[in-house]
Order: sequence, then structure tokens, then C-alpha cells
Amino acid sequence: MVMKIRTVEHFVREVFISLKRNNWMSFASIGTVAVSLLILGMFLIVVLNLNKMAASLESQVQISVYLQDDLKQQDIDRIEGKIKDFQGIATITYIDKDKALERFKERLGDQKFLLTALGDTNPLPNAFEVTVQRPDFVKTLSESISQIDGVESAKFGQDVVEHLFDLTRMVRLFGLGIMVVLAGATVFIISNTIRLTVFARRKEIAIMKYVGATDWFIRWPFLLEGMVLGFLGGAIATIILRGSYSAVTARVYDTLTFLPLIPEYPFLNYISIAILISGTFIGALGSTISLKRFLKV
Amino acid sequence: MIHMHNVSKIYENGAVALQNVDIDIEKGEFVFIVGASGAGKSTFVKMLLREVLPTQGSLVVNGRNVLDMVAAEVPYLRRGLGVIFQDYRLLPEKTVYENIAFAMQVIEAPRREMQKCVNNVLDVVGLKDKYKCFPSQLSGGEQQRVAIARAIVNNPQIVIADEPTGNLDPDTSWGIMDIFTRINKAGTTIVMATHDKTIVDTMHKRVVAIEDGRIARDEMEGAYGYED
Repeated sequence: MVMKIRTVEHFVREVFISLKRNNWMSFASIGTVAVSLLILGMFLIVVLNLNKMAASLESQVQISVYLQDDLKQQDIDRIEGKIKDFQGIATITYIDKDKALERFKERLGDQKFLLTALGDTNPLPNAFEVTVQRPDFVKTLSESISQIDGVESAKFGQDVVEHLFDLTRMVRLFGLGIMVVLAGATVFIISNTIRLTVFARRKEIAIMKYVGATDWFIRWPFLLEGMVLGFLGGAIATIILRGSYSAVTARVYDTLTFLPLIPEYPFLNYISIAILISGTFIGALGSTISLKRFLKV
Repeated sequence: MIHMHNVSKIYENGAVALQNVDIDIEKGEFVFIVGASGAGKSTFVKMLLREVLPTQGSLVVNGRNVLDMVAAEVPYLRRGLGVIFQDYRLLPEKTVYENIAFAMQVIEAPRREMQKCVNNVLDVVGLKDKYKCFPSQLSGGEQQRVAIARAIVNNPQIVIADEPTGNLDPDTSWGIMDIFTRINKAGTTIVMATHDKTIVDTMHKRVVAIEDGRIARDEMEGAYGYED
């Protein structure tokens, strides 16, 4: 459908007249859209960041292959050969129990006196540290490695990663629930606003019908009004989100440097676009519902 | 122009508004539809506009088959019809000029024609010097003239008037009838539902009388035929 510029002009003018006429309802609609989308945006940002954390943890993980005690050097060589034969292995380093203990001491730092309790015994096993070419290999490879004869166990940070995924799932589910409720409320408020507009213009609508305006010519201004309300609400939410995410990332970089947050750009641009589109869509949905119920054309 | 054959209308509540109505109205005719309140005049008028669909029969208006029409076609049917009501139905916040131009805007008529067309019809109804006024500043007769101007600005082939003089005093009514006569002379078909005995008796036009949903009389150069 090609619209004449003049027609578009007419629609835009109608929308602004109407926004002004119902200023309180318009204000309320924009406000609810803004609050809903702000919450949606926050959940989106949290979930995406948790996903990113999980992914980066997973990509960092190496498989620690602990060997059974009392293996002969040739058994150890055999195991090393077998691991190397697997597809997707990047590096393999042998850490004997002495070296492992030394590292452990280093990690304890000032508290290494704790180890004196062990006396001369070394409870740590001999081990291989294996890194893989792609993070998604980790799980299957560690399973295969643990099957090798003489391997006590093969571990990667699966517990941490899995917990993080669980958390992400929960946040996502919770966020989705809240979103559905808020989106419903927003659609309701917008459809109410549009209903008022339809009511205020019922005389004009009747005349338009008598002189032969097409249904879409009558509908467009109302649809557009809903979309403008949704878009403006989305714009407010976007501005608040952008400001607060910048502030939060700046804080985190100062204090918790290891936390891998998603960088502001272009991430925030995508979020903004998503929110503006959702706002416009919610607005369009609200007015469509109202037009279906109250505008008999 | 209008070909109605064996048309009946029974409303959902069982009320029979029209029964087996046959009528042909040709181009350039001036037809009065008369009858008591509730006789079916309004249903007749609404049917021409496709506000009400016949329950049975066939109805062709301006070469368009009203019964087979899809919803998207209705606006184009109505563009060929100019409608005038007893209560004028002007938009109070728009001036005379804007009220008339509105009818052109909403069918997306070219802007450069708009001023010329509006001025033309203002001339026809004799309101050229009042184009800036708001409806509240006009008398009833003047408001009805604006409504007529709005009805004819898009050059409809048929003008349908539902009791256009119902709210007006006799002198003013004659002013309105004068405008209708001129529009009719220019070739536009006029269908006017009315209660006004004096007007019908004086004009000597075709009179169709509807009684209890049936056509009781259809006379060329007829008279009102009822006592008021």
C-alpha cells in the first residue's frame, strides 16, 4: 500500500492532536510501557551477561586428569599417548605430585604453614593438564579420558558451569513470567487510551465512513498513536538502561576486574533496538485490540 | 442508478422492516420517500448506503451489487453517494471550509483540487462569505447547507437525504429544497425521505409511499397523500 505524503501528514497531525487531548492517559501509557520495558531490559542484560560468564568459564576450563597412584612410568607414557590420540586436544602437560604440591603451596601463599600438618606425605596425585581446541569438546573429551585404564578421574569446572547455567535458566524463567504480566498490563493500558481516542472521535469516524474513507484510512491514526506511545515508553526505558549499564560496568571494571561483563558497545545498541521495537509492537497490539472492539468500520 | 428487486429486511429481533420491495430509480430522478415513522423509510435509506444488508432480494446501486460486495468495496460505493441527515452532523471544532474539505481529505482527493471544489460547492449552497465560521455560529438552515455542500463536494451521482428539513422552519426548508432542485437539474439523482407534506405536494416529483414495509404507492408527479 503506497500512501500519499499528504495522507501521512494527516495521520501524524491526528496522532499529535490526540496525544495532547488525552495527555494524562498518554502520560500513564508511556509510563507503564517505560517501566515494563525497563524491567524487560534489565532481565535481558542480566541473562545475557550470565550466559557470557558461563561461556567464558567454559572456554577457560582445562581438563585435569588425575592418575591412579603407583603407576609405572611406562603406564604414564601410555596414557599420555592415548590422550594425545583424541581429536581436539590442544596441549597436554604432565604435573607430577611434587610439582602439584609446590603449586599448591604457591597458591596458599602466606598460609602455606597449613601444609606442615601433612608432614612428609604428599596426598596429591600425579596428573595431566589437558586443554582443548574448542570449549564444547570439554565434556565429551573428559568423559572419554576418564575411561582410560589407570586414570582415576578426569574433571573440568563442570559444577561451576552447570550452576551458572541453572542460575541463568532460573533468571530467564522468572524474567519471562514478570514480562508476560507486565506486557499484559501495558497492552491493556494502551488499548484503554486508544479506546478514549476512538470515543472522542466517534463523530468524525461516522462522517468518514459516510463519505467513503477506507477502513485503513480510519484505522491508521489510532494504530499510529498506539505505536507512538509504545515507542516513547521504549525510548525512556532505553535511556535509563544505557545510563545505568554504563555506570555498572564502570564500577565493575574498577573493583571486580575478573568478571567478564559484556562490553557496552555494540551490546547496548542491540538492547536499545530490541526495546524500541518491543515498545512499538506492544503499542500496536494495544491499539489493534481496541480497534477490534470499539471501531466498527 | 438504483435497482431494488424483491428486497426484504427482517431484523434479528424478528421485526420486518421491508417486504418484497421492487423499485427502479433512474439517473437524474428526484424521488420523495414518504410514510409514517417506522414504516421502513430509514431501513430503505440505510440499505442504499449498505449500513443495513437486505435479508433477501437483489440491490444494485450505481452499477455495484450491494449484496455481493466485500467490505473493502463499501467505501467506494459510498463515494458515489452523498448523504444528508436531519441533524446535520457537522464537526463542531472545524470551520465551514474545513468541514467540507474533510470529506475530500479522507478520500485522499488531490490537494490542488480541494480549494476549487470547496469554493464551488460553497457557491452552490450560498455560504461563500461564511467559510471561516464554526457550526455553532450558524443557523440551522445554514448548517444544513454546509452538510449539503459536504455531501456534494465529491461529485456523487446520487444524493440521499434523510429528513433534511425535519429540524427547519418552512421558509428555511424552501431554501434547502431550492438547492436540491438545482443539484438535481445539474444531473444528480436525489432520493429524499421526508415527512413534509407541503414540500412533497408543491414539488410534483415522483413519490414512493412505504407502508408497513411495502411500497403502497409509486407515482410520478405525486402528492404526499396522508393527513399530517
